[in-house]
Amino acid sequence: MMKKNIENIKANLSEALELPMDIALDLPRITIVGSIEVNIFNHKGIIEYDNQIIRVNSRIGIIKVIGSQLEIKNILSEEILIVGNIEKVEILS
Amino acid sequence: MLAIKIWNYLKGYVIIRIEGLALERLLNLALTNDIYLWDVKRLNHYQVEVCVSPKGLDNLLELVKKLGCKEEILEEKGLPFILERIKRRKPFVAGFMFFLFLIFFLSAFIWKIEVNGLEQTPKDKVLQYLESNGISSSKPKMSISEEEVELLLLNEFDYFSFIEVQKKGVKLVIEIKEEPLPPEMIDREYPTNVIAEKKGVITKVVARNGDALVKEGQIVNQGQVLISGAMLTNEQEVYLVHAEGEVYARTRYEATVSEPIIKRVEKETGRVFEQKGVKINKRGIKFIKDIPFANYKEYIREEKIFDWSIIDIPLKLITYEYREIEVQEARQNIESVKQSNQLKAIEEINEKLADDVEIIARDVKHEIDGNIVNTTVIVEAIEEIGKKVIIGD
Repeated sequence: MMKKNIENIKANLSEALELPMDIALDLPRITIVGSIEVNIFNHKGIIEYDNQIIRVNSRIGIIKVIGSQLEIKNILSEEILIVGNIEKVEILS
Repeated sequence: MLAIKIWNYLKGYVIIRIEGLALERLLNLALTNDIYLWDVKRLNHYQVEVCVSPKGLDNLLELVKKLGCKEEILEEKGLPFILERIKRRKPFVAGFMFFLFLIFFLSAFIWKIEVNGLEQTPKDKVLQYLESNGISSSKPKMSISEEEVELLLLNEFDYFSFIEVQKKGVKLVIEIKEEPLPPEMIDREYPTNVIAEKKGVITKVVARNGDALVKEGQIVNQGQVLISGAMLTNEQEVYLVHAEGEVYARTRYEATVSEPIIKRVEKETGRVFEQKGVKINKRGIKFIKDIPFANYKEYIREEKIFDWSIIDIPLKLITYEYREIEVQEARQNIESVKQSNQLKAIEEINEKLADDVEIIARDVKHEIDGNIVNTTVIVEAIEEIGKKVIIGD
């Protein structure tokens, strides 16, 4: 309950000060470019890597990218760049 | 993205294939250990192909060992590896160095001498003279000085009015302008053409040597061959002679002068309007007010606000001064305008005329086009237009 309250305060504060939500609340930022590229910032590691499915852990749950010929173009501690034919991006929290 | 690719290429990178079961775990461990991986390709459920920098490779191999996977280095790419390979190929490096040296060595010589602008002097004569003074092709560039060559040529050929010598790469380019030679100085051994110096209508052709190509009454353009030095024998073979002769032609000179009848004269009325502005560095701020005059001239004065000698503060006060002017129209006498125009036009033509010219006709035309008087003066003259030019390459 207490934690929930702090989260609310944070959200309200960042809204009031027009701060970017993802930074203030430590949320992942997912950028999708057409159907060829998904860029995930602020992730928490890879769970599954396959040509059809890539599952990435994050603070809000698992981000599941489904498609074909998927490939991790770039992988850093803060950022993952996935390219390929993207069909679906799911967030499983 | 391109910048990153170039950077990776310069730093070098390794493509490595890893075989094992817990590959996702390996990737996560690489992340936490700050190993930068890119182009991660999943080949199948137990194989993955990644690119990694040589620095990260050691750390990655350690992780691979820890997780019990197997690795295989497929390719080493990038500049450091290429350099490494080149280092092993000593003869190739030596050949490359030799090639570079050869280029530098060969470009330190003059390989060709180009002479431009000669009309009366044969090129061979100039080249021969230069060679006898030690300036020829395949001489090192350092040993030839432009000024020396210029002086050398000026001393030998005193009728050269302009010489410019330039080293352009492996060429020595000599630009020459000649003054017309007196007839007795012309070397008659070389074949020449007589060409037209000006456009005109031929009135008389006297060909002392060579083949006259033009007839009386014919119109010739500048540069056209009038008397050719190339003659045909009875067997239809060409042989070259020193063409000579006089060609007279009627030439035409034209000059047009325009002048308005009603002239605008600007006069200050004495009324002045001022307005201030500030200038910081190069940017100015102007306090805009309407200027109460229809016709005016703008004068701008600048003065420094802080005139200290120690520091230069780039703050300036600007005064914009607008002086009212009155535009008066002065009507000139048409006849006097015509006369002054005519004089100006004739002066213009006289500048172009040579000394030994016989003027046969002069025509003056005035044309009034609205406010403007156009005066055209046409002078026709008979003069020699032939000019000897050496037949050469």
